[in-house]
Amino acid sequence: MPDNGPRADTVTLTIDGREVTVPRGTSLLHAAETQGTTVPHYCYHPGLSAPAQCRICLVEVEGAPKLQPSCVTMAEDGQVVHTDSPAARRMRQGVLEFYLVNHPLDCPICDMSGECKLQDYVFDEGREHGRGREPKRVFGRDDFGGDVLYYGDRCVMCTRCVRFMDEVARDSRLTVVERGSRAVIDTFFDSGLEGASFAGNVVDICPVGALVSKDFLHKARAWDLDHTPSVCTSCSQGCNIELHTRDNLVQRLMPRENQEVNGHWMCDYGRANYEWMNRPGRLEAPMAGRGGERRAVDWKTALEHLFVRLQGGTGDVMVVGSAEASNEGLAALGWVGEAVGTVSARVFRSPRADDEEPLPGYPLLVRRRDLAPNVDGAGLLGFERAGDDTGAGGLEAVAGHDGIVLVLGDGLADQDVRFGASAGLFVYLGSFDSPAARNADYVLPVTTFAEEEGSFVNAQGRVQRFWPGLRPPGSARPAWLVLGALAAALQGGRTPASAAEVFAGLEAGCAAFAGLSYDAIGESGVRLEAVHG
Amino acid sequence: MSEIQFRNPGWAGNTGEFDLTEADVRGTDYVGETQLDGGHPSVSASLPYMLVEKNPEAPLFEGPYQERFEKIRSRYPTARAALLPALNLAQELRGHISPATMDEVAELLGLSNAYVRGVATFYTMYNKRPVGRFLIQVCTNISCNICGADEVLAAFLEHTGTEPGETSSDGNFTVVEAECLAACGFPTCVQINSRYFEDVSAADVPAVLERLKSES
Ligand code: SF4
Ligand code: SF4
Repeated sequence: MPDNGPRADTVTLTIDGREVTVPRGTSLLHAAETQGTTVPHYCYHPGLSAPAQCRICLVEVEGAPKLQPSCVTMAEDGQVVHTDSPAARRMRQGVLEFYLVNHPLDCPICDMSGECKLQDYVFDEGREHGRGREPKRVFGRDDFGGDVLYYGDRCVMCTRCVRFMDEVARDSRLTVVERGSRAVIDTFFDSGLEGASFAGNVVDICPVGALVSKDFLHKARAWDLDHTPSVCTSCSQGCNIELHTRDNLVQRLMPRENQEVNGHWMCDYGRANYEWMNRPGRLEAPMAGRGGERRAVDWKTALEHLFVRLQGGTGDVMVVGSAEASNEGLAALGWVGEAVGTVSARVFRSPRADDEEPLPGYPLLVRRRDLAPNVDGAGLLGFERAGDDTGAGGLEAVAGHDGIVLVLGDGLADQDVRFGASAGLFVYLGSFDSPAARNADYVLPVTTFAEEEGSFVNAQGRVQRFWPGLRPPGSARPAWLVLGALAAALQGGRTPASAAEVFAGLEAGCAAFAGLSYDAIGESGVRLEAVHG
Repeated sequence: MSEIQFRNPGWAGNTGEFDLTEADVRGTDYVGETQLDGGHPSVSASLPYMLVEKNPEAPLFEGPYQERFEKIRSRYPTARAALLPALNLAQELRGHISPATMDEVAELLGLSNAYVRGVATFYTMYNKRPVGRFLIQVCTNISCNICGADEVLAAFLEHTGTEPGETSSDGNFTVVEAECLAACGFPTCVQINSRYFEDVSAADVPAVLERLKSES
């Protein structure tokens, strides 16, 4: 390269004997990651500033007089870096020994055990035996309020939590109090984290078991949890999350990184809202017959009889969808309605909060006013919002309709037992029974989003997929399958075998989704705008 | 100045070769108190005693203190940088930094109160609790320790009748242990308010306390 020529925007260096090329301005830690080497680190977190204070990411750079912190040392052309040389290993072992001077090693009762960075690093590279003979100092635990509990003895003083509150939540409530071996993380005396809307994230980013969730306390061991990629359903932001499940129950929700939606974060409201996925008392079998005549039937009987009734029915159809239902379920609902007559109402209801709540240091993430995941999907699929901001009302016409009424996913909580009394045919698809479904000719049990595959469209116009993390109860089935089968029978097509097939049908029928496929959406989603320019 | 005779006159550098009093060395006009306006910066840090009565309820900040606070604020580029001297000033006025004081200083500087608490607790020179008129800090670090600092500390505690950190019933003395005071050549070093007493032995302690009482 000529001396005064433009600087290349990549640099090439050697890490552990292998050559890597990375964009200029990449830290050694990230450069090593691109070739599959994870350099241990505590204070560094990709969503926060890098104070280079934990001293465990030091690596050897040939020519440098001392070991360099890889989180803030930028890759340079021609550098020769050793992350695993004797010097680097010796240093890490020494640093780890210091971290253990006062650490209680209470892994057997620590929630972080199994996903703890102190445990991992010490297991990988620490000394086999401790040499300390002095008693360890003991702090005990401190309730920070909200969902957060602090075990001072386990803390490695990485200050990730302090920096999260400073830089991302912009609510500097956490600080390091005292110094040296007496240092603890705390708030201003008893003020706590109560009322902070994003504080739950400090539990996720704490590399050890110092900050734990009260809700998750002693509930499950990390290695017993299955992780399923999913999308938060508590508002229309659609933060990417993981369902952590055990024994067919959701044990907790954790954010899943997506730099275009939620970064590394999620809000406390969404995080806390999962118990309903585990709620018992679900609809487990299809049922036929109104009121007192209602009886459980098998799917074959239910669908065959319903098919006959739908085929014979004509005229005016009203469909009630839900902003909690998947695109696939809503699309199939529309197909069934269109196949049997003229759809005169195609509505959904959804509660709205008074205001939205942005995460100041990561403004892309906003807890939206719409407290349901698929308001935008419902809109694109031709459903109109009805009712008020509490998600009630707006169904007067449907309640007294004398044609066909199809309800998917709306619990009809505000409706009374007269709902649908005069309907020629009333079909209710839901996960839970409802008093207002008393007049339904067919009550069909469908899965929740946690038990099925599907997609939502978030408030950014981004199509995002989710995967099943729970087994559905009884014979509940995904709405797209039930309605897809009916629509196929009515239109003379083939029953869809997967949500992807329903999506393909939807893509063909709805301009907004044209050009998209399940594969293209993948785990990180696609903005519709990006597809259509 | 007191007439009580004792071996150690209580100011740095006295080797016994000269017959000078502290007033001779420093001049009399500022010995014994901090001037309200803080005085000239060249001496404000080396004032021997700060015997101005502390008022834990004193407002932050008024009159000359307000002016000094403004001066501090204007000398530093950021509020964080101005925090240490601002806390100093509050302590000079109130004698210690209580949670309420941290909160007020945070408010004045536009910082979070948690951050101010973190800073105030990091530095041992901020008293987080009320202390006596004389804060006696006995160095027990290596040099002093070898030369009997433990006995000196024990003597101070015994003669004041206190536990470490506790204030004597007459409100005069609070005795604490200190880490290295950077006077390793003159062990044991004891810092009393802003002044160093050097070469202190356990036997000197009663006389030192007598002298302090006579000045209080
Ligand atoms: S509590 Fe956790 S995140 Fe906070 S400083 Fe300690 S180890 Fe780091
Ligand atoms: S902002 Fe919305 S989508 Fe994100 S976690 Fe909160 S409720 Fe869920």
